[in-house]
Amino acid sequence: MFNKANRLEKFKDAETVIGASIKVKGNFQGQGNIIIEGVLEGSLKTDSNIFVGDQAKITANIEASDVIITGEVRGNIKAKNYLAIGDTAKIFGDVQYGEISVERGAIINGQLSSINEDNKHTEKIKTEDKATISSK
Amino acid sequence: MHVYVYDDFLNRGKYQKIINRLEIRLTDLGLNGKIIRLAGIKNIRGVIQNEIKLGAKTVIAVGNNQTVNKIIGAIIDTEIYGDFQKKTLLGVIPIGDDNSIAVSLGIKDMEEACQILLARRLEKIDLGIINQHYFLNQISIQSLDTILKIDDYSLEIGARGELRIINLLSDSSTKIQSNPHDGYLDVYIKTKRNSETHLRAKKIKITNPDNKIIIDGVVEIETPAEVTVKRDQVNLIVGKGRMFE
Repeated sequence: MFNKANRLEKFKDAETVIGASIKVKGNFQGQGNIIIEGVLEGSLKTDSNIFVGDQAKITANIEASDVIITGEVRGNIKAKNYLAIGDTAKIFGDVQYGEISVERGAIINGQLSSINEDNKHTEKIKTEDKATISSK
Repeated sequence: MHVYVYDDFLNRGKYQKIINRLEIRLTDLGLNGKIIRLAGIKNIRGVIQNEIKLGAKTVIAVGNNQTVNKIIGAIIDTEIYGDFQKKTLLGVIPIGDDNSIAVSLGIKDMEEACQILLARRLEKIDLGIINQHYFLNQISIQSLDTILKIDDYSLEIGARGELRIINLLSDSSTKIQSNPHDGYLDVYIKTKRNSETHLRAKKIKITNPDNKIIIDGVVEIETPAEVTVKRDQVNLIVGKGRMFE
């Protein structure tokens, strides 16, 4: 999964690419797939997918469908569908994912939680609440 | 009625032969019309606007990028613009240097331009606006120390290279596919560290303390400047080999 060709296949036609010499500040909401190779401070969001390159330094919360991290992220990550964490990744923040894979060597300092399990948990609480209400 | 607008630089002796050839070719194809020579005309806007009022069906820029932009600048945001958009087509006959607009439209040279005028293949194209200037192709600036402000974020560029904001792509040196019908501009940055950046935006504010912006390779302006795009503004006669769908 983490060989370079596979990693970038989904992103070869990325609509937004932030190169290594660029610093982005603010709330970055891109269209389509996004590749970040530079520096980003603020927030990063798309309905599609995000690839964070190994030279990238991100200080922001990230939200997308699929997220691939091979660089440094200081902030929370929410990958609604799939999160891939490469061996060069450094993550300082909480991580939510649909599915996850982590390569040996990656650094993660934060809580990991499955969105699906969270949803099940929430559903369970809602059901229990209803049951309590109807029993009253 | 065809109205041919000859730019003032065509008055130079070195262009006389090509102008003669052009006029013979246009007559052969039955495309002859009125000729306006911009050399010596102070009120270019007034002259071009008057031709639209008189019912010009096609206005043809004979010259380079600046000729095309002079014609557009004379018409856009004026009271006759509505008529121009509905009734008038804009054609281009490239002569001399700085003809990237013609290249984008699939027009290689003067000979081909005449055939393309005859074929009358039409495309409605977005128009870029920077401060009070208009552009069809692109604007460019040195990337180092340039700051772009877009929506809720800014981009700071820390390396030398080129920064282009593209409406209509004129070469294939970039990986991007710019669409001049979508109401967006493409920001493309390539630095000497070989990193490439591209994204799309509708409104961009540009600042750079040391460098000027170049519009369509011809006109220079200072920053700060605001760049926007107007959708489907100009009816252009284009060639089969145009650089967009």
